[in-house]
Amino acid sequence: MSLQPAVLGSGISRGRRARNRAAVVLVYLAVVAAAVPLGFVMAYLIEQGGRVLTFNFLTRDIPVSARTRGPGMGPAVVGTLLITGAATAMAVPLGVLAAVYVNEYGKKNRLAAVIRFLADVMAGVPSIVMGLFIYTVWVLRFGFSGFAGALALGCLMLPIVIRSSETALLLVPNDLREASTALGARPSRTILTVVIPAALPGIVSGALLAVARAAGETAPLLFTIGVVTTTNLNLFDGTNTALSTQIFGNATQPFPGGISRAWGAALTLVLLVFVLTAIARVIARRFTVR
Amino acid sequence: MTTHEPHPRRRFAGLASPVAALVALAMVATACGTDETDEATPDGAGQNTVTTVREDPINATLNASGATFPKAFYDMAIDAYRRVQPGVTVNYAGGGSGQGRNQLRDGVVDFAGSDGIVREEDKASYRGGEFLYVPTVAAPITISYNLPDVRDLQLDADTIARIFQRQITKWDHPTITALNAGVRLPSSDITVAHRSDGSGTTEQFTRYLDAAAPGVWTLRFGSTVEWPSGTQAGNGNQGVAQIVRSTAGAVGYVDLSDALAVGLQVARVKNKAGRLVGPTLEAASAALAGARVNADLTYNPLNADGADAYPITAPTWILVYKNQTDRNKALAVKSFLRFVLTTGQTLARDVDYAALAPSLQERALAQVESIVVPGA
Amino acid sequence: MSTLTTTEPPPPLAPPPALGRRSSLGDRAFRVGALACGLTVLAILALIAVATTREAWPAVSDQGLSFFTSRRWAPSVEIYGSLAFVYGTMVTALIGLALAVPVSVGIALFLSDVAPRRLRRPVGALVDLLAAVPSVVYGFWGVTVLAPAIVPVYDLISDLTSPIPVLSTLFAGPSTGRGLFTAGIILALMITPIITSITREVFDTVPGAQKEAAYALGATRWEMIRAAIFPHSRAGMVGAVMLGLGRAMGETIAAALVIGSSPQITANLFASGDSMAAVIANQFGEAGGLHRSALIGLGVQLFLLTIVVNMAARVIVARSGKYR
Repeated sequence: MSLQPAVLGSGISRGRRARNRAAVVLVYLAVVAAAVPLGFVMAYLIEQGGRVLTFNFLTRDIPVSARTRGPGMGPAVVGTLLITGAATAMAVPLGVLAAVYVNEYGKKNRLAAVIRFLADVMAGVPSIVMGLFIYTVWVLRFGFSGFAGALALGCLMLPIVIRSSETALLLVPNDLREASTALGARPSRTILTVVIPAALPGIVSGALLAVARAAGETAPLLFTIGVVTTTNLNLFDGTNTALSTQIFGNATQPFPGGISRAWGAALTLVLLVFVLTAIARVIARRFTVR
Repeated sequence: MTTHEPHPRRRFAGLASPVAALVALAMVATACGTDETDEATPDGAGQNTVTTVREDPINATLNASGATFPKAFYDMAIDAYRRVQPGVTVNYAGGGSGQGRNQLRDGVVDFAGSDGIVREEDKASYRGGEFLYVPTVAAPITISYNLPDVRDLQLDADTIARIFQRQITKWDHPTITALNAGVRLPSSDITVAHRSDGSGTTEQFTRYLDAAAPGVWTLRFGSTVEWPSGTQAGNGNQGVAQIVRSTAGAVGYVDLSDALAVGLQVARVKNKAGRLVGPTLEAASAALAGARVNADLTYNPLNADGADAYPITAPTWILVYKNQTDRNKALAVKSFLRFVLTTGQTLARDVDYAALAPSLQERALAQVESIVVPGA
Repeated sequence: MSTLTTTEPPPPLAPPPALGRRSSLGDRAFRVGALACGLTVLAILALIAVATTREAWPAVSDQGLSFFTSRRWAPSVEIYGSLAFVYGTMVTALIGLALAVPVSVGIALFLSDVAPRRLRRPVGALVDLLAAVPSVVYGFWGVTVLAPAIVPVYDLISDLTSPIPVLSTLFAGPSTGRGLFTAGIILALMITPIITSITREVFDTVPGAQKEAAYALGATRWEMIRAAIFPHSRAGMVGAVMLGLGRAMGETIAAALVIGSSPQITANLFASGDSMAAVIANQFGEAGGLHRSALIGLGVQLFLLTIVVNMAARVIVARSGKYR
């Protein structure tokens, strides 16, 4: 509801009017202050990245030397999809079921409150610490692999999935649960056939946002996946690479070939994240039962 | 409880702008993209006589990491080696000598590149037992600088030490002008660039200063050193090169290959014999010629005697365990190292690295043969 | 609640499912499964805490209190003091906040009150886009585009402030473009969406009646904001700011690329520095023994700091909800 103040000619002093106008100008300036750097980032991204983004770029192997000009980033694209996919496959079911426990079974009891609190704590763990953790616990024993990276990303995604699923489950009206119980369904049946389907848009959109976040993460992958220039489809054996780590590696190189590939990778990554985020918002808006 | 079905048209209203923007973005991006096809291939690859013995095809993946100093050479060697043994994939990750030694020690890589030597007390912690030093190439460590109007900067060990210790902070300091008669040096600040990661290049550079400027250099030597405040740090030789290239008035220590590839200016340094020598491969070979080689094939060409020797010539090795555990990997490692020490040596020059002296090359090949392959 | 009015007797309900052992077993299994998933959160967090603390202990016990108080970090002589990194982390985070908070509050005000209806969605999309860009892309853009381009700006500022006493130390030149302030700018870009979205939610909870009352008394828009929105939202805004602080402190990659990687405690904001997360990212690969342990110790320290900030923020935000 936008309320327009009725500003009558001589009713407001000049000072007050000036202050009001100044405030409105500042607010618009704030928007501009955010839009301008974003505009620069997007402009460079589209210009530099668009220059190299071709089908070849997305499929050819990464040149062994950063000095080489030319495509591609194929292994990194595959790596990002594989590793993020594996992380999603682990984190989403785990997170949704955890949220189910907290919201449907635990409700107000102490354990649920503790889990909720700890999920918040886990959300605040810096991503580099997740990477260190998986390195000491997994990589030292089993070596670098895409799976180690997926573990680290999964740990990052888990609290996000739990929180968004919990919110989605909370929004499901209690009438549905009561009706289901009244018809004789056991709690598990109620949850599986009534509550989760009703909360599904929120759960899916929250999961997609978590995936978008994980796809862009670099720090957890730094010490867990190693590096490779050819596509490695085996998640459990051998080093792998991802778009984010490739961008990071090329960011400190002075070679134009490597830098232009990094821009291409950056544009690919931003498009990927943007698509996931847009789908998430669309699902949330379109399908949510109000 | 009621459900609102949004009006069909309104349902899609919110979709139109973001989806359209996205599609437009993607179309513009792919339409504007072109494949840059001027791939730089090293000259001479495949044209030289191959002196390697004919081998059976091997299937293996080798993971390695370590020194960024020889990385350009290893990258080229890996590329060329793929033509000899297409079934072997070698991944050399860089990351600095410290990282390579560390990861070899932990057993997460199959071999490591290192410009520096492992301390005696650390050897016991290497999980695979005894490891070998295999020398591969050598190259000058350049003193790269960014002063567009100064074509030929001349320095000596004392001055370099003072600059990197921030005792000299401006380019027109009397000590520098004294070494560069007739050159107009600007009065701007010197920005010192060094390594942020554990680096064999740092170790060799600081060893040189420790030997050549004993009274002046106080920071000792090592793969990390306590640089004074007010300096900049970069990741890898390439990171330092990037800083020097993008900052006017910067100076840093960078391997020759990266300095030339980035187009940095390099200084001439006064060697032990008192002559000013530039960082060329000939001068590096001159420094290698006189170096004494130890039994384990470590050697020190820094601050070498010889009128034509470049004083900051650095060695580099590949560290590999003598007793291998995986048969395929062992065969692959030996094959790759043999390649580096034979065909690789003829290609080194193309990426600005100095090949080993023939006597050292023979000893290195013998070292590679001593690697034990299990299940033979 | 809908009421059913029928004229005929309702059809007989299906008999309730047999309460056999089988179905209750499946039901119990599901419950146990859900509980187990909930417990994995505890397990993982406990494992993180235990593993990292155990790895960090050798360095912290070896260095003693100086681990937290010394500004000297020298792996070559096995001296590890975290103060310079804590300084870098806090300074860059605070610079990020100083730049992001006014912008975020402004955008939140725009979205909740000032914007004409048709501008609301594009600006909302703008904020979403800011949030969608991964941190490594911001860092990459920062080091390739922003850092070189901002050097003339820094030089200009340092020239302008050189006669003014305090400011001349804060903004001394010359600079390479990589340093504390540039890292602060990148962090500001990254935390703006979080602060904006929470602040906007808080602004939206201001009762319409209060806003109308302000207008009815003859207030201009700005006066209404000051009278109705800000007082109501104070706690929420503080919470949002602290969440942004927590996020800025934990940010690794974007800061690592532009901060200069030179640990030092300096008042010159244009100079280079180093942060806890950045030094871990840079040095961990090569570290062994006590060095690695010290880096993990930095990680634990960072973890604890961000926990404290995040928890305080949540308490404050939660309490503001009760204001309704």
